[in-house]
Amino acid sequence: MANSKSSVVLPFLVGVVASLVLGWWAFPKVLYSQKTQPIRFDHVVHVEGQAMTCDQCHVFRENGSFAGLPTTAACADCHSDVQGEDPDEQKFVTEYVQKGKEVEWLVYQYQPDNVYFSHIAHKNLECTSCHLDVAKMSTPPVYYQNRISGYSKNTMKMWECERCHAQSGASNACFVCHK
Amino acid sequence: MGLDRRSFVALVAGGVVGSLATPVVWKTLDDISIWSQNWPWIPRLRYGEESLVPSLCKLGEGAYGVQVKLVAGHPVAAYGNPEHPLSLGGICPLGAASVQLLYSPARVKNPKKRVNGAFVDISWDEAEALLAEQLKAAGAEVALVSGDDTGTAAEVLAGLVAALGSQESYFMPSEGAAAAAAVGLLGGDGLVGYDVEGANFLLLLGADALGSSGTMLRNAKAVAAGREQGVRVVAVGPVLTATAAVADAWVPCKPGTEGMVAMALASLIVESRPDGKVPGLADFRKQVAAFAPDKVAAATGVPVETLRSLAKELLSASKPLVVPGTAAGQGMAVSDAAAALAVNVLLDRVNVPGGVMLLPWGPKVVAAAPDQKTMLARDVLGYLAKVAAGTTSAPKVLLVHGANPAYALPDLKTAQAALAKAGFVVALSSFMDETAAMAHLILPDSLTYERYDDAYTPYGSGQANYTVAAPILKQPLFATKAAADVALSVAARLGKELGFASFEEVLKAKAEALGADFETAATGSVWLGSEFVPQKLSLAKVPAPGAPHGSETTVVAVAQPKIGSTKIATPPFGTNGISPRELQGKDMVVAMNKTTAAKLGVRAGDAVTLSGAGGECRARVRVFEGVVDGAVMAPMGLGHTAWDAFSRGKGANVFQILSAQADVGGASRFATSPVGVRKA
Repeated sequence: MANSKSSVVLPFLVGVVASLVLGWWAFPKVLYSQKTQPIRFDHVVHVEGQAMTCDQCHVFRENGSFAGLPTTAACADCHSDVQGEDPDEQKFVTEYVQKGKEVEWLVYQYQPDNVYFSHIAHKNLECTSCHLDVAKMSTPPVYYQNRISGYSKNTMKMWECERCHAQSGASNACFVCHK
Repeated sequence: MGLDRRSFVALVAGGVVGSLATPVVWKTLDDISIWSQNWPWIPRLRYGEESLVPSLCKLGEGAYGVQVKLVAGHPVAAYGNPEHPLSLGGICPLGAASVQLLYSPARVKNPKKRVNGAFVDISWDEAEALLAEQLKAAGAEVALVSGDDTGTAAEVLAGLVAALGSQESYFMPSEGAAAAAAVGLLGGDGLVGYDVEGANFLLLLGADALGSSGTMLRNAKAVAAGREQGVRVVAVGPVLTATAAVADAWVPCKPGTEGMVAMALASLIVESRPDGKVPGLADFRKQVAAFAPDKVAAATGVPVETLRSLAKELLSASKPLVVPGTAAGQGMAVSDAAAALAVNVLLDRVNVPGGVMLLPWGPKVVAAAPDQKTMLARDVLGYLAKVAAGTTSAPKVLLVHGANPAYALPDLKTAQAALAKAGFVVALSSFMDETAAMAHLILPDSLTYERYDDAYTPYGSGQANYTVAAPILKQPLFATKAAADVALSVAARLGKELGFASFEEVLKAKAEALGADFETAATGSVWLGSEFVPQKLSLAKVPAPGAPHGSETTVVAVAQPKIGSTKIATPPFGTNGISPRELQGKDMVVAMNKTTAAKLGVRAGDAVTLSGAGGECRARVRVFEGVVDGAVMAPMGLGHTAWDAFSRGKGANVFQILSAQADVGGASRFATSPVGVRKA
């Protein structure tokens, strides 16, 4: 009888542990592919070296909409020519500025088109409440892309929006975010 | 220790239980549900720098400035342009759909030639070579029909036709042409405009000035602003148009009698000013004697008291203005326009603030081309009728540019017969319209946002103006080409150089001829002229306006840009704007009042057959008291047989039952036509 029990319990426990290991350690590694930005943009050089503020590049337009990432033309205000010795700056100037191409930056918090997120309505929050603190990074973090959904690992889920809205007393009605 | 069956099942069960405490199942299910948002056929928004770029809308009967919103260089929406004098921030339904039309399923995406009854895609080189070959073989037997009466593209094409030895270049009918012809009858010369902003009493004789006629956006702004200043607007006409609905008063008159109303008003004004010193007044007195108010009241249905009251208002207003027109935005009788102009002349309202403005013709820059005045005076209806009848030889090559004569001309069967007689029809069209569908060769014209375009002083402008639109897109979306560039290229192939290498050069020359700076104009700055042609108008030869049709029922065609124009079928956006008052199921809805319905023995909702001189069409009846006795109000823009699913097979084409009636000087009127109505 005891043998019979051990021949069930032990494999069961092994199965549980194995699936926990696979589920919590291996599954995320398989689920997300890792990507790097097309250009290694050094925020530290700009923020600390040039004393630039976030809103010099990440601007609100006159109509209140958020421009998000700067265009190549905006970067070219300073980087029309190579200024330093960083190979990525050189690549940016030759491949993008001189060819008039936009950099296909990977957006860590990219939201689907069916979500209308207004940055101006959230301007009193710290950027890092939602975004990675890239201002302190010389190398942009790895971009983890979900192989199934196609979204960034850092894309905020709806429950996170709802939680913050509920905590701050903002409406959670559908039309607030879904137009 | 071996793994027996029992242990294996336990292992698997443990694995399943353990997995439930991991993200594997829940995350995978969640991701799969989100994955459905990213199926490749689901369109994605483009994000990026937003900007507003000035351009032109020429999709309707006029032309005005718009602003196109670009996101990351891609056009996404069009708005009115507050800086443009003909928009003042307003936009028409076609302009609002102009970006959407870039992607219309009806767009012709590359040149096509007809082979054994079907279209075959060909390259531009082959297409231009084929056109050059056909033109060479045709010699001088070439003709042009263009719908672009404000743009220089038509001048280039007419220049090619003239260089080949033909003078058969025509514009599609327009109110502007009729108004200019009326000016000619009174001994004047120039494009016709109205200083609507400066007038303080606006009498609209048939003109749907806020809905479809002339510079309607500007007119609407002027009327809205005038409300606060006490400006009065009175609309005379057989149906309650969009303009009449918001005017201070609507004066119903029998269809096609607005000219008679004008003559009655002229008669009352002449009577009240016995010592008037207008040139030709003596002859005019004799002419208006036949239009005594009581006679006109009987013929038009406008009571004598109303005529007297209108005349009194015209005489007492410090800046009255009479604007002729039709609910159709075209097909106006020259004689009606002349009668309205005569009233303005009597009141000394020509080339004065708030009056009729006679503006200089656009300069000609293509030496071989006929000038704007000559082109506008030519009668396309007469030409096509002669071709159809065989009294004029059919052109061996017919170029059709920015126009859809197989859909948008009265006596439609005659026009279609003339097109069928042409040896080789070339459609320079952006869309697969009815004319393109029957063409032998389609050379798809790029849309305004994809090429250079321009507009000189659209009909009704208060002062001369010139707008240039530079291409917004770096490349056309499809393998299309500007019609004017095609004409220049083909002319070069034929050794008939027109003096320019590109359409851009032509426009530079046009701007220079006007004294405008091309570079400034191409960035949205509108050139405004301040000159008015000195006039010596005489009332000696004002013709008698057309009489009522005499038929029991008359169809009154009503243009509404939300349904489309003579050039453009209902865009996808427009389908939401078409109400059951215009279309029910697949039936066009025509409106008549209770008295007319009773006389015809029909009720609301009945299916009827409308029969005109040119043909028949089916409709359903709506009973509406905004239509005078004996009139049947029918929406224009329906009944397309080509285009796309958004417009094809919906309702009937009113042009099937509209017929042209002879008017003065060989011109014709067709905004209203006799029609028979019977239960279907």
